[in-house]
Amino acid sequence: MTVKKRLEAHNDRCRDCQACVLACSLHHEGQCNLGLARLTVSKDMERYTFDVRICRHCDEPACLSACPVEAMRQDERGVVILDEEKCVKCGACAKACPYDAIVLSENPEKRYLKCDLCAGRAEGPVCVEVCPVEAIVMEGAEALATPADM
Amino acid sequence: MPNGWTGKILNVDLTSGATSERDTMPYAREYMGGRGIAARIAWDEIPAGTDAYDPENRVLVMTGPLTGTLAPSSGRTVMASVSPRTYPIPWYTHSTLGGWFGPELKYAGYDGIVVHGKSAAPVCLEIRGSGATLVDARELWGKDTRETQLAIKAKLGARAQILAIGPAGENLVRFATVQHSEENAAGRSGFGAVWGSKNLKAIAVRGTGGVSVADPPGLLREATSHRYQPAPQFADVGRKPGAPTRRHPICSQACTFKCWTGVYVEGPGGRRLPGWCVAPVLRNPKGMAYTLYEGGGIRVPPGVNFEPDQDAHLHELSNTLGMDMWLRINLQPYLVRCKELGVEEIRGARIEPDKYEWFEPFVHGLATRQGLGAIFADGLRRAMDVLEDELPDELVRLGREIEFSFGFPAHREGRIFDHEPLPFWVISAMMHISETREPAIGAHQSSLMLETLLRRDREKTLRLFRRMGENVWGDPDAFQPSLERKAPVTVWSQNQHMIIDCMPLCDFGFPQLMRPIRDREDWQTTDDITGDLEAGPRLFAAVTGVDMPLSEMERMAERAFTVERAILARSGRGRALEETLAPHFALPCKTDGTSVDRAGFLRLMDEYYAARGWDPDFGWPTAEKLEELGLADLVPAIEEARQKFPEAKGSRASLGKAQG
Repeated sequence: MTVKKRLEAHNDRCRDCQACVLACSLHHEGQCNLGLARLTVSKDMERYTFDVRICRHCDEPACLSACPVEAMRQDERGVVILDEEKCVKCGACAKACPYDAIVLSENPEKRYLKCDLCAGRAEGPVCVEVCPVEAIVMEGAEALATPADM
Repeated sequence: MPNGWTGKILNVDLTSGATSERDTMPYAREYMGGRGIAARIAWDEIPAGTDAYDPENRVLVMTGPLTGTLAPSSGRTVMASVSPRTYPIPWYTHSTLGGWFGPELKYAGYDGIVVHGKSAAPVCLEIRGSGATLVDARELWGKDTRETQLAIKAKLGARAQILAIGPAGENLVRFATVQHSEENAAGRSGFGAVWGSKNLKAIAVRGTGGVSVADPPGLLREATSHRYQPAPQFADVGRKPGAPTRRHPICSQACTFKCWTGVYVEGPGGRRLPGWCVAPVLRNPKGMAYTLYEGGGIRVPPGVNFEPDQDAHLHELSNTLGMDMWLRINLQPYLVRCKELGVEEIRGARIEPDKYEWFEPFVHGLATRQGLGAIFADGLRRAMDVLEDELPDELVRLGREIEFSFGFPAHREGRIFDHEPLPFWVISAMMHISETREPAIGAHQSSLMLETLLRRDREKTLRLFRRMGENVWGDPDAFQPSLERKAPVTVWSQNQHMIIDCMPLCDFGFPQLMRPIRDREDWQTTDDITGDLEAGPRLFAAVTGVDMPLSEMERMAERAFTVERAILARSGRGRALEETLAPHFALPCKTDGTSVDRAGFLRLMDEYYAARGWDPDFGWPTAEKLEELGLADLVPAIEEARQKFPEAKGSRASLGKAQG
């Protein structure tokens, strides 16, 4: 049985270099645009803390059941894929996501963007590959049985 | 929209409040970006003879085609202005910083900003979407750089990126910085004071666009190849095979380096603070002892470390007050030496530089020009002119040696601060005579890293240098420890550094003169450490789609460097002033005791100027050289400078007579 893969984010390791965000946007959209990535990294200057928001690929995805128009489906890896052609941009999935990891992009047009774990990319998710500090890592579902920094 | 560049530069007139735009591409075709474009705009628009605080001075904030992309370490911003720090006369120079401002400026649709004039009251320039407005900043005046950024973020959102000055810039401290986030600063050239003189408190930008990339898969391949590494001083030559690589913080958008230069520290109360380039000097309890230098009749005593959280606080303080953090490395050992020689007070004020309770208020006093700060806020070099009749000769001389480089602190020149054995200090000396500022950053690649190897295994390293010399400069002796034939390496380094500042990339990472060393075994068995010099052109091509060979980039760099030199000429800086650096290099090198006498130093100058195609009397570009570089339009102004500044001519002729 293949173990379902998911992404784990370690905010304590992150240093806000945005390499993952830029790589995501470059891979999916062909340009470097922080607003067109499937994840966000933000910094709280007051507290000097960082926050990586990225899809955790839940076993029972709330986004999937929230979608009213069947614009979301699970692929053979169990990853929820958003079909932008079917999406009516209602935002129900983003609202349902417990990790606030479905990104609303408004420039140049309103779109919802969701991580597809770099479907079809032989090297795996590009954010994991480019991160210099291992703040985003691939974890097997079993490894997640022990509580991480959720 | 071209790939890489946004195509627009924002013009802001602080006097009238008017803003406009200009096309980037006519500049980009000749000068690429960053420091190159800044130099051309400065030549065209800052009138000759402009003082740092003249409203006609420009604040130039430039990015390059790679800024805001995934190109490793490209999140850099270049600033340029006439500097208040240069001594004895003001001239144009530059300073670069990492972080997130430059990328955000690109996302807002601009490659750069040209600010001139002077506002009647404090203002903040806000750039949002496609609009730029000047906003009243009277309430921000007096706030430190952190408070200022937090106040602006509260208004514009957390993702707004901000450049700001602190009290030091407002009070025209000659080494005031322009600060961004916690740890990034345009630190060396006193630009904070230029902003202060213009009543420009901050520039805030929030963009919603992106940067177009010509070859997304190609750029992704480069960024994920992990073949780049920061300066090989941090090469893993001692690492056990198979041991995990170190994980270190990054200091700039898109930086994917596991770099050693940023180190996070704990401040007062255990609060985490971002670190800084020389953090290991200050956070090591005996790190400040690194300043010890003795030779040629001067002594720089070991600096004094305080408690680790106090040292961290002092560092944060120079960032929040907005001052070059090197004030600690310069001023503290200097004042300790005053005490050693029995000077207990200056102008009636007691000095206790080894006591935190004294030093911390002294730092505040620098930023506000209170107490001794009124004198030292102008830099050690100028302070010596004020105090020369009150202090013992040795102390006056020491102050002048510590800031020997036209008011910039001694750094990678092999005497006062860093280890820099032959051949590195000779290369550094040639940079000092020819650049607009203390050139340590240009020396990071050619020395910082490689001298560490030289000290580790001299014989092996010299063998590897011969190979590298042959590969890169076609001369196996180019990098050997001697005074001879160092001009080609110097010119090469300066041109490479110009390319790095135009793209821009981090000078700790590029050019990749040396290849990454995997571990101890790799180091022990290798017979060639020559690096990947095509990395820059590859990244440039992936982003812009323009296949520009390295040789063409070098020509562009030479053109830009020559424009900077022409600006110096127009300010009256030439060979005569540069000859005043000779005594410093007659001091014995900290590492190997080598030095050069005056006659030898003048020969180094001759060799360097000749390699550049500059005349030997003034050290300025000849008409032929200007024409060759497509800069014929500069010829009349340089000829005029030769008439206007006869005193800039060097003493080469009289030396010839003495020798004859």
